Amino acid sequence: MKLVHLIFFIFISTELFSKNLFNSKTFTLTNGLKVIVVENKRAPVVAQMIWYDFGSGVEEKGKSGLAHFMEHLMFKGTKKFPNDYYSNFLSKIGGSENAFTSYDYTAYYQIFPSSETERIIEMEADRMRNLTLTKANIETEKKVILEERFQRIESKPSSQLDESMRTILFPNHYYGRPIIGWKHEIETLVYQDVLDFYNKYYNPNNATLVLSGDIDLETAKKLTKRFFGKIRKAKNLPQKKLLDPDLRTSVFVELDHPNVKQSIWKKMHRVDSYNKSIENGIALDIGLKILVGGSTSILYEELVNKKKIFSMIGGFYQGLTKGDGYSFFYAIPIEYLDSRKIDKIVSDEMRIAIKKKITLEKVNLEKKQYFFDSVYGMDGILKPAEIIGEAVTVGIKLEDIENWNEKLEQIDLEDVIKALNEFYENKNFVIGSLKN
Amino acid sequence: MKIIVIFFILFSLSSSISALEFKELKTEDGIKIWWVKDESLPIISISFSFNGGSYLDEKGKEGTAYLMSALLDEGTKNFSSNEYKIAMKSNGMNLSFATAIDKIGGNFQIISTQKNKGFELFYEAVNFPTFSYEEIEKVKKQIVSSIKIENSDVSSVADIKFDEFFFGSHGFSRRIKGSIESIERISRKDLVAYHKNVFTKDNIVIGVAGNISEKEVKQYISMVFGNLPSVGNQRKLSTFNSLKMGEEVFEMDTPQTTVVFGQPGISRTEKNYFVARIANYILGGGGFQSRLYKEIREKRGLVYSIYSYLDSYKMDGVIVGGFQTRNHSVMDTIEMVKGEWSKISSSGVTSRELQDAKTYYKGSFSRNLTSSLSIANLLKIVQYYNLGNDYFVRRDKIIDDITLEQINNLISNLIDRDKLFFMIVGKPEL
Repeated sequence: MKLVHLIFFIFISTELFSKNLFNSKTFTLTNGLKVIVVENKRAPVVAQMIWYDFGSGVEEKGKSGLAHFMEHLMFKGTKKFPNDYYSNFLSKIGGSENAFTSYDYTAYYQIFPSSETERIIEMEADRMRNLTLTKANIETEKKVILEERFQRIESKPSSQLDESMRTILFPNHYYGRPIIGWKHEIETLVYQDVLDFYNKYYNPNNATLVLSGDIDLETAKKLTKRFFGKIRKAKNLPQKKLLDPDLRTSVFVELDHPNVKQSIWKKMHRVDSYNKSIENGIALDIGLKILVGGSTSILYEELVNKKKIFSMIGGFYQGLTKGDGYSFFYAIPIEYLDSRKIDKIVSDEMRIAIKKKITLEKVNLEKKQYFFDSVYGMDGILKPAEIIGEAVTVGIKLEDIENWNEKLEQIDLEDVIKALNEFYENKNFVIGSLKN
Repeated sequence: MKIIVIFFILFSLSSSISALEFKELKTEDGIKIWWVKDESLPIISISFSFNGGSYLDEKGKEGTAYLMSALLDEGTKNFSSNEYKIAMKSNGMNLSFATAIDKIGGNFQIISTQKNKGFELFYEAVNFPTFSYEEIEKVKKQIVSSIKIENSDVSSVADIKFDEFFFGSHGFSRRIKGSIESIERISRKDLVAYHKNVFTKDNIVIGVAGNISEKEVKQYISMVFGNLPSVGNQRKLSTFNSLKMGEEVFEMDTPQTTVVFGQPGISRTEKNYFVARIANYILGGGGFQSRLYKEIREKRGLVYSIYSYLDSYKMDGVIVGGFQTRNHSVMDTIEMVKGEWSKISSSGVTSRELQDAKTYYKGSFSRNLTSSLSIANLLKIVQYYNLGNDYFVRRDKIIDDITLEQINNLISNLIDRDKLFFMIVGKPEL
């Protein structure tokens, strides 16, 4: 039985992955724009994603929400393609589009019939520099963004708790400031702020363009040169590397709200990112998956199946960040329990698990899952563009992404236990409790 | 005698042309399958659904269908819950069930090198779920938690309350997960009975896409579904006879109110369905292009999201929409939605709007073909609603043939502001 698994394991890893995960190709234009092409001819469709190398992290203090505000305004038109010409064109050809802003990046994507690739590349290039904004645009869009903040945060107690926990975990770094911005600061953003931000940051040397689907390298070269190539390179703006101090106090935050019908316990740790070490990141990722990742995890088995204290427990590691990464745990108690008690239950169980229950078999199972997930990751055209774009933008080398599974194979039981022991000793955490 | 039909589907996207070739297969047990072979990746994807769903839940035992399908991977004849999940993981298998009001849908995926083990596990879940008392208790507690979490959230409450009031005495008013009280009343016997009545050969449609041969498809599908009872025991779905109109308010403490609204729509099987779909695309469906989006978000900034969609079933349908806005602008925004309803109903759409919507629907089809799971899903849906073996061939023509007169006639008959119902959840300033 085990032998059979092992054979498949090796078969899959060598046949499919020993060379490259996505088989992507890359080149850089003279103005600094990085282009990555993932060819997939299965359907006559292309996904274009442009990843700007900045998000809410570059905002000046007092102007939180500016990067996300700018993202909304990128849909307002240029001189050549005014108002919603671009969006309208995309709709007419059956395409779809959206955009998102994070701490470390801002990204825009379109999925469309490949016959229109030239036009779409032209319009995406055009709005990098030629946006025509009016004061009226900005005032109306500000209202929309405030409604968005109310929808995502102000009317969701659980999100308010998360926001508060992040401010504590990252007291110095911009990761402690909400991406969408504080309400009182969004309200004060004006036309000039937006214009300055656009002119300063929207530049080819700050971006990575990923083209995935029915497009070949030669076409990609020709079209990106023609449209993006004529944009002038701007000054490279070094981004500040900020670090947070160690937390010396135990912080328990609570949010009491009359709408809350189910109490939830949460815990966030500040941890190293993949940027510090891909190997250590993978080891921690595997370790946390074994501990709390889903219904086969040790803590789920002990605390949900056996002891029946929680109806659910889960957690994950997020290490795709420019600065420090974080981990997030949650537990849903069947009967109300104080958050300190829950923390003790979870910590005790974790200590026992790390000492006695992390086995080679479990590590290999998680490794296998990694392989299988990377196969599923290729089924589609947007997913590869998302995975590559995000990883490259936070600072991981393309070759490291392509060879991810080789690094994975080198991780052994000791690496995982070491990562978990360090994690267990990590005092940089905050505990949150949502209750009524 | 096996009937094999081959279709070469051609659709043109200006210059580029692509083909979706599917084959209709029949197993020896008489199960019909639509299949597309795709060797680009070592993945097999299956999308299937059973007629049934929550409307078959016994009164007082709402949530039976949901609980039953949540238990399918929580232990089978030869695997405990934990063993089953570990086996899934070690073979790269995904299996999920989604209980809807009118059906139980499911997706199965397996890495093709692991297909023997994968289909064996799939077979166990479909045919021999244990429904052990211990797992029933565990999953009940999980569902109760998730009901409480939904009850804490303004938007989720709005969806639930909308269904409750809008559909009224119709079975579609019930909550799919049931209530904390109704879940308590569900016994193991109820789950076994539900499984037996709904997981039957006459109830199923199946789409398969991926790296698997014709012979294997028939063999594996026959293994997984061939031993199910031939005929199930189901009630016919009745049409919506008395949908609620007007407004209802449910108070919750929040600075922003959620509104869900609806009015009668049309069935998915009706000849005019695509005409209505295009009408809705123009009104509230089409991403950043709809009238609701442009008027209420883009011009006035009253909302972050606003939408409407056709919620269409085999026997009937409704049009549903929604938005969130600050408590002080709730009534103004509702008036504006009503205004758009009046406007489209009296003046119709322009030929430009119709043209743009037509090219959208023709062009967007190919996006379904980018992953094996979306192909399998497409094959399933077309069978589920009986749209015909030639649907993919006819689809462009169905769209092209829609005239301005036809769509505006439909709109003036269908879109009716007096039939709108608004469920308002939050603290609106009235």
